[in-house]
Amino acid sequence: MGKPATHSRDYIFTPAIRIFHWLRALAILVLVITGFYISWPFLVAPETNDTQVQSILRFAHLVFGFVLTAITFVRFYLFFFSRNDIERRSFRDVMSINSWIKNLKSYLWMGQLHKQGVYGPLQFMTYVAVSFMALIICITGLVLYANVYHLGMGGMMWDISGWITAQMGGLAWVRIIHHYLTWAFCIFVVIHVYMAVWCGIRFKHNSVDSIVSGYDYHKADH
Amino acid sequence: MDTHAALYEQGKARLEALRELSPRHTESLKQKMEQHGITRRDFMKWSAAVTSMLALPLPFSTLVAEAAELSDRVPLIWLHMAECTGCSESLIRTDTPNLDSLIFDHISLEYHETLMAAAGWQAEENLEHALEQYKGNYLLAVEGAVPTANNGAFLTVGCKGHTGLEIMHHAAEGAAGIISVGTCAAFGGVQAAAPNPTGAVGVAEVVHKPVVNLGGCPPSEKNIVGTLMYFIMFGKLPALDMFNRPKWAYGARVHDNCERRGRFDAGEFVEEFGDFGAKEGYCLYKVGCKGPYTYNNCPTERFNHHTSWPVLAGHGCIGCSEPSFWDDMADFERPLGRQLLYGFDATADAVGAVILGAAAVGVGAHAVVSVFAKPLED
Repeated sequence: MGKPATHSRDYIFTPAIRIFHWLRALAILVLVITGFYISWPFLVAPETNDTQVQSILRFAHLVFGFVLTAITFVRFYLFFFSRNDIERRSFRDVMSINSWIKNLKSYLWMGQLHKQGVYGPLQFMTYVAVSFMALIICITGLVLYANVYHLGMGGMMWDISGWITAQMGGLAWVRIIHHYLTWAFCIFVVIHVYMAVWCGIRFKHNSVDSIVSGYDYHKADH
Repeated sequence: MDTHAALYEQGKARLEALRELSPRHTESLKQKMEQHGITRRDFMKWSAAVTSMLALPLPFSTLVAEAAELSDRVPLIWLHMAECTGCSESLIRTDTPNLDSLIFDHISLEYHETLMAAAGWQAEENLEHALEQYKGNYLLAVEGAVPTANNGAFLTVGCKGHTGLEIMHHAAEGAAGIISVGTCAAFGGVQAAAPNPTGAVGVAEVVHKPVVNLGGCPPSEKNIVGTLMYFIMFGKLPALDMFNRPKWAYGARVHDNCERRGRFDAGEFVEEFGDFGAKEGYCLYKVGCKGPYTYNNCPTERFNHHTSWPVLAGHGCIGCSEPSFWDDMADFERPLGRQLLYGFDATADAVGAVILGAAAVGVGAHAVVSVFAKPLED
C-alpha cells in the first residue's frame, strides 16, 4: 500500500534519439580535443618517429568524424520521418509569438514553460542551428578528408569536394570554417548542459535523466 | 581505341599540320641545342621528364620531342598587365640556358614586352601586327592582373594609352587559347588583395573564353613550359581542376608530396625558426606552412633547375598558387587557426575563448539569480 502516484511517467525520447545523443556527445568531445591538436599540435615530438602521433590523433578524428557525419544524416532523416512526432510538434510553438514570449519569460524566472512538444521554441531553433552547424562541419570535414585519402570513399567524393572547395573560395576557407564551427560547438555545449540542468531544477520535469531513461515526469493534473 | 591511343593520334595529326607551316627561325632547335652544349641524350631525358610530368604514358615522349622541335610554328603573344615580371623571370633567369629556357627562346614568340628590342610606336605596331596576322591561331599568355576600377585606368600601357582592360579584350578575341601565367593573371594576386583599390581581377573574369590558370608566384618554369608543350602538341588546353589549373600540375596538394610529410605524421614540428627541429628538417606547419591547403607540384618539380623550393630551404609554403592567397593565407608564419582576424587583431581561438568565457559568466550569473528567484508555483 503506497501513496497514490503524484506524477505521471511519460515516454518522450525514443531509444534512437537517446543513443544518438550520447554517441554524438562522445564524438563531439573527441573531435574537439583531436581537432584542436590538428589545428595546433600541442604535444611534444615523440622519442622516435615510429610513433606517428599526428597520424594516430588524425585517425581518431576521422573515425569520430564519420560517426558524427552518420548521426547527423540519420537525425535529419528521423526528425522528418520518425513515427514519433515529439520533435516535430514543437514546430507549432516556433510559429507562435506567444510561445516565444512565454519561453523567454520563463527563462527569466517568470512563469511556467508550457510547450506542445518536448522543446521550447528557443531550444528548438538552437537545435536547428546546431544541426546545420553539424551538417556544415561534416561537409567541410569530408572535403578535407577527400584531400587526404585519394582512393575509395575519398576518391568517390573527390569531384564533389573540388566543387565545394571552389564554392568556398579554396581549401584554406574550408579549413577556416571548420575551425570556427568547432568554437560554436564548444559554446553550445556549455549553454546546453547548463540549460538542461537548470530546466530540471526550475520546472521540476524534463530533467537530465530523461535523455538517459527516455521518460519525463509530469504532475498528474497537468 | 582507348583514350590514350586516340590522344596520341590527335597529337600526331596536329604535329603533321604544324610541320606544314613555315618555321619562324632559320636555326632549328637541334642547332640551337648544339650551340648551347645540350646533347641529344639530354633532350631525350627532358622529353621523357615532360611526358611523365604531363601524366602521359612514355610513348608520348616522341610527340613531346617533336612538339619541342616544332614549337616555332605556334605563334605566342605574351602580354604584361599589372605585374612584376617575376613569372617571365622564373622562365628566363636560369644560370645556364637549359631546355626549358631554350624552348621559350625557340618558340614563335611574337610579342613579349620584357624580351623585345622594340619600344614605343614600334612596339605597339608589332603587337597590332601580330594580333592581326595570326588572328584565330595564336596562343595568348598573360602575366599580371587586370585592373577594372575607373574603367581600367589604373593600368595604361603604351604610346596609344590603351588600358590593360582594352588590350585584354582585343587580344582575347583572336586567341586560340589563353594561359594566365602566375597568380596575378589567374586570380588577381597581390594586386587584388583587400581592399583592392584598383579593382584588379584575374584574366578569366574579363574575357569570355576558357582560360588556363597557372597559379604560383611565380609558377615554376616546368608548369609554364609544360602547358605550352601541351597546347603545341594537341592544339587544345589540358584537363583542368576546380580553379581551371592543369590537373597534371595542380592535382595534388603541396602537403601530399612534401619531403617533410613524415615529420608531420610523426608529430615532429618546428616550434620557431632556428630551433633544433628546424635544423633537423621537422615539419613547418606550426610556423605557418600552408602546404595542406595549396595545390601545386613544387615538392616534385621544384624551382631553378630542380634546385630547391621554399620548404626545402626551410620556410613553409605560403600558398601562392591559390586564389586570394594574400588575404586567405596570411599570416604567412602562423597556421590558419592562428591567423589574426581582420578587425579583431586576435586569433579565432582568442575570440572563441572570449565568447566561451562570456557564455560561462552568463550561465553563472543566471544560476546565481535563479537561487534568489521566486520559486515557481505549482
